[in-house]
Amino acid sequence: MQKILYIEDELLMQNIVDKILSREGYEVDVANDGKMAMQKLIENNFDYSLVITDIMMPYANGFEIISKIRNYTSPKKIPIIVVSTIGNEDAILEAFKLGADDFLKKPIMAGELLIRVKRLAGQ
Amino acid sequence: MDFSYFTDASIAQLLEEFYYSPLIIQIAIFFIFFSVLCILVTYTSILTKRYKGYRLEKKLERINPIIDDLILKNIIFNDELNKDAEEGEPANLIPLHDFQKIPFKSAFGKQALINRIISFRKSFKGTIAFYLRQLYIDLELDKQSFNKMKSVKWDKKVVALVELTAMDMSIADVNILPLTNSKNSELRAEARHAYIKLSKNEPFKFFDVVTEPLLMWDQIQLFKIITTTEDIAIPNFARWVTYSTNKSIVSFCLKLIVYYNQVDGIPAVIKLLDTKDHGLRANAINCLGKLKVDEVEDKLLEIYGNQTQNCQIEILKAIGRIRSGKSIDFLKYEFLHSSDFDLRKNAARSIISGGIKAQETIQLLLDTATKENLLILKHCMNPLIKF
Repeated sequence: MQKILYIEDELLMQNIVDKILSREGYEVDVANDGKMAMQKLIENNFDYSLVITDIMMPYANGFEIISKIRNYTSPKKIPIIVVSTIGNEDAILEAFKLGADDFLKKPIMAGELLIRVKRLAGQ
Repeated sequence: MDFSYFTDASIAQLLEEFYYSPLIIQIAIFFIFFSVLCILVTYTSILTKRYKGYRLEKKLERINPIIDDLILKNIIFNDELNKDAEEGEPANLIPLHDFQKIPFKSAFGKQALINRIISFRKSFKGTIAFYLRQLYIDLELDKQSFNKMKSVKWDKKVVALVELTAMDMSIADVNILPLTNSKNSELRAEARHAYIKLSKNEPFKFFDVVTEPLLMWDQIQLFKIITTTEDIAIPNFARWVTYSTNKSIVSFCLKLIVYYNQVDGIPAVIKLLDTKDHGLRANAINCLGKLKVDEVEDKLLEIYGNQTQNCQIEILKAIGRIRSGKSIDFLKYEFLHSSDFDLRKNAARSIISGGIKAQETIQLLLDTATKENLLILKHCMNPLIKF
């Protein structure tokens, strides 16, 4: 089963995306903030098929999370999707510069998220 | 005085003592009792409010997961609805029976439902957002929001406007336009926000009726709303620059002309250079500079001498932004000979922003500058310092 780490501090969004992805057969690990996300990544030895992250979060923002994942010397590259309300040019470019694979601006379309997840994490 | 009708002897004695004590003591005792009473009333009201808040939170904690599950089951994971949407006809009826059960019949339940639908719509767009709006209408929750619009309390009206805007429900001009001019700043701001978001044809019509000045904070909020709202018809803002009698509207429209790079509005802005209001004149010069209107440079130099200091600063900045290179000598003269420090600083900044065209002048000034002038030039050359 493909394992996804979803980092989001907004509870409603966290709950729904978790249910949408679980329904499609993914195993979803949820983190409420940057610190918890880092803990989960280390605990699981960065073994995720995909990371979906918000940008504005307590303790460590999405950009820091992307940098840390990309600095990790894993032979396997973890795909990263950024899902954020911040959709300005600077944020999008910064995310891609740091190594994000995809960017979605909130509000999102559930179907679109699923397609992108399937494309990056596999079915 | 006879206190014998008090059955309790101690109370009778206390009252008797109070009655025969000096006036100053009586006043002091009265104030002590009054203060204690006030403290008790205040604490009781705080505790009651906190308890009510706590009860509300607990009720929401119980009802919100139920609503979430219903929305997930009946809308997000409803394959029938999604099938219709894929076939291009999103008209299937949403199963409403679950939403019409007891917890959602009370006003509290309906309000919780409205709030949750709005939260979902903030996170999702597309088909889900369409069906959430449909659900809001089918459950007649819009009636509850429209009823709040009729309330005399401004805070209820604000809630109603927020709900109707979030659900993309149109409101009649006759109901919303007067609110855009309300004395209450929060209601006014929310009504303008709602009007821009909901009015499909003329989202800026309220500019015509605004009599109260747009405060700086109003302008910041409106600017954010206008520039971040998708699918709104952007008009030619020069219309208000020419005809509006409200100075704050004119000033705000000048900022929007710059943001949307409306070069069609330049003639109207140039006309504003002749206005007697120096604040508006400064804004017009600022606008022309940001639009880099080089044909206005000669006129700016011509009027420079008889302008107030804020307009002179704007002229210097505008010349720096236009960067035609024609006015380097003028800028150099102002930098070397002006008695006003701000004018010298802005002249230096404009010379430096002249780039290659001003290279010779910059070098000459650096070579021959006094200690103070050198400090100003180096300050202006620092790319980290913004003006």
